[in-house]
Amino acid sequence: MRRRIPVAAVFAIGLFIFFFLDGSISQVCSGLLYAAPNSLVPYLTVLWLVLTDFFTNSRKLHLLMWAAVIGFIFDMYYVGILGVYVFVFPLVIYLGQGIYETMPRNFLSGFLVYFIDITLTIGLDFLANVFIGQVEPSATIFLVNTLAPTLAINLLFFAVLYFPIESLYLKYRRRG
Amino acid sequence: MQKFFSNRKLVIIVVCLIISLGLMTLSVTVRNRKGSPNLIQQFGNDITGFADRVVSVPMNGISGGFVAVKNLVNTYQENEKLKSKVEQLTQTQVKDQVLEKENSQLKRQLQIGNTLTSYDKINAAVITRTPSSWTSQIIINKGSAAGIKKNMPVIAGAGLIGSVVEVNKTNSKVVLISNTSENSNRFAVQLINSQNKTVNGIITSYDENANEVVMGNITAKMSIKKGDKVTTSGLGGVIPKGIYIGKVAKVAQDDYGLAKKVYVKPAADLHDIEAVSVAVRQ
Repeated sequence: MRRRIPVAAVFAIGLFIFFFLDGSISQVCSGLLYAAPNSLVPYLTVLWLVLTDFFTNSRKLHLLMWAAVIGFIFDMYYVGILGVYVFVFPLVIYLGQGIYETMPRNFLSGFLVYFIDITLTIGLDFLANVFIGQVEPSATIFLVNTLAPTLAINLLFFAVLYFPIESLYLKYRRRG
Repeated sequence: MQKFFSNRKLVIIVVCLIISLGLMTLSVTVRNRKGSPNLIQQFGNDITGFADRVVSVPMNGISGGFVAVKNLVNTYQENEKLKSKVEQLTQTQVKDQVLEKENSQLKRQLQIGNTLTSYDKINAAVITRTPSSWTSQIIINKGSAAGIKKNMPVIAGAGLIGSVVEVNKTNSKVVLISNTSENSNRFAVQLINSQNKTVNGIITSYDENANEVVMGNITAKMSIKKGDKVTTSGLGGVIPKGIYIGKVAKVAQDDYGLAKKVYVKPAADLHDIEAVSVAVRQ
């Protein structure tokens, strides 16, 4: 006998695990991910939010609110500058929802949506960092050294984790 | 999607943008002026820090395991190399002990209290790293409860890696010297050249491609050679004197040809930090 775990609980626990994994992977593999001049930033939190949106009833889960909450914690705990991810995460998820609704629901359109989401996330984060003077506004630094490698690693994560997370949600949705 | 820019949504977006810019300005100001963030933020950070240990402890354990296996492979060669160094080290250590004792005796005789060189260490473990390409920042598991204050220098392994930028009760954020931003912390450093002359300077930037910190604005005419050692000078602020930073890798002229720019290779490996110590000036 397996106990019934509601989808919302699965989502919340997964959200925090993926949130902490972002930092832990960055720490453990920092030699690999942040070897100058490129940086490959894992955005597993966004991955979890996006995949949850694909596979569950996101309106019932209050996904946008959760995105804002985790964005706020992200700002507070990791970066220390408030007001960036708290708006970026919900916005990205909202736009992703809009695009995904117009497309057939399969791996490839999910891939495309995630591509757009990650690009937006990094782009808006870059703008915010330019605004506070943390980084010099240079297109090469942004496009070549950050956007391209980060997209590569995140799309890899997407390809690897898409089907496991789909089956995980399918399992709990059927029973819950 | 058709009515994306309907009035209501436009208003929401504008309001969000204003709040966002406001919050960002506020947190940058707080970060620049105050020692620690507001209570709500501190509380949140402490809670998140505790929860993070559930994930980070096993992750760090796994990576520790890999490192252990890698070390095992290299052990023999390393052992041979180290053997020759050990004898030398013991000698230096003994000499160091004697000198330290003599130093403290002399200080007592001259009735000088603690000087710039005396500092205590608070040891801490690294919990996690900021997943961002624009801030090189790690989070350590000691905070104001352990006596850590803002701007204290942080040492890992052989040398300086950065300084404390935000302090919570049980964890704090450390900005690494590899942070390229203009407004990150500047260290007052000095260099002792082969003729035993001191050259003072400030770390002004970081060269990402070469992994070297740049010591700029040096107008002194003293000769600086590759391999000269650079340490903190203890001038200004809370940073003690004599924390090793690294060796000179290259000497160049600055953009206007008026001052020298010294490239320093950091002694600490900035990509492999597991445990750190925070230096507290006595």
